[in-house]
Amino acid sequence: MLILTRKPGESLYLGDNIKLKILNIQGKQIKIGLDVPDDMTVYREEVYLKIKEQNRQALESSQQDLLAAATLWLEKESK
Amino acid sequence: MARERKQVIQTRLGEREISTDAIVYFPRGLVGLEDKREYVLLQVRDDSPFMLLQCVTDPGLGLLVADPYVFIKDYDVKLDKAEKKILKLSNIRQLAVLVTVTIPQDKPEDTTLNLSGPILVNTEERVGLQAPQIESGYPAWYRLSDKKE
Repeated sequence: MLILTRKPGESLYLGDNIKLKILNIQGKQIKIGLDVPDDMTVYREEVYLKIKEQNRQALESSQQDLLAAATLWLEKESK
Repeated sequence: MARERKQVIQTRLGEREISTDAIVYFPRGLVGLEDKREYVLLQVRDDSPFMLLQCVTDPGLGLLVADPYVFIKDYDVKLDKAEKKILKLSNIRQLAVLVTVTIPQDKPEDTTLNLSGPILVNTEERVGLQAPQIESGYPAWYRLSDKKE
């Protein structure tokens, strides 16, 4: 991992079109400003990891459990 | 307009014939599955709210998904500008919303809807995107059996 030291107000460029600026530091919190292309999405790591785990779980159900759940939660039951 | 073409693919539910027009392209893949881009939606059963989001090129890759509005009438999804652009969204009516589903092994009664990473499909453009919800008030694992009538 590349490690750099920056002061509040200083910035980094990642490639030509991503700018990352350290805005301020308060205690244990660092406020970061990001200028990214408007088709680039940015997510907090914990959110990203949670969804990755959910996707993994959505893949895992056995054929048998899948059909059992489909029977248990019929569309008409919820109407 | 091009004639509808059929294609036979292998899926988690066995062999299925799909229309090539039904293939949804995910330019970013799904979270953790970034290199898989082409999916189709398959019914699990005719009367079930569950569907399989099946990868066209990988038979083992099929995620169980559901229409959240069958269970939660006021489920709300927030999209930013970048996400709308990826989805080529010009009208909100183009948008279909799906959420992934977790069925614990041998416990279908504990099935949960995963509300924090909805999968959005622009049904006109056939483009899809999974859009993590950063500040939604919904539980990430919403138990269907806790559903209030």
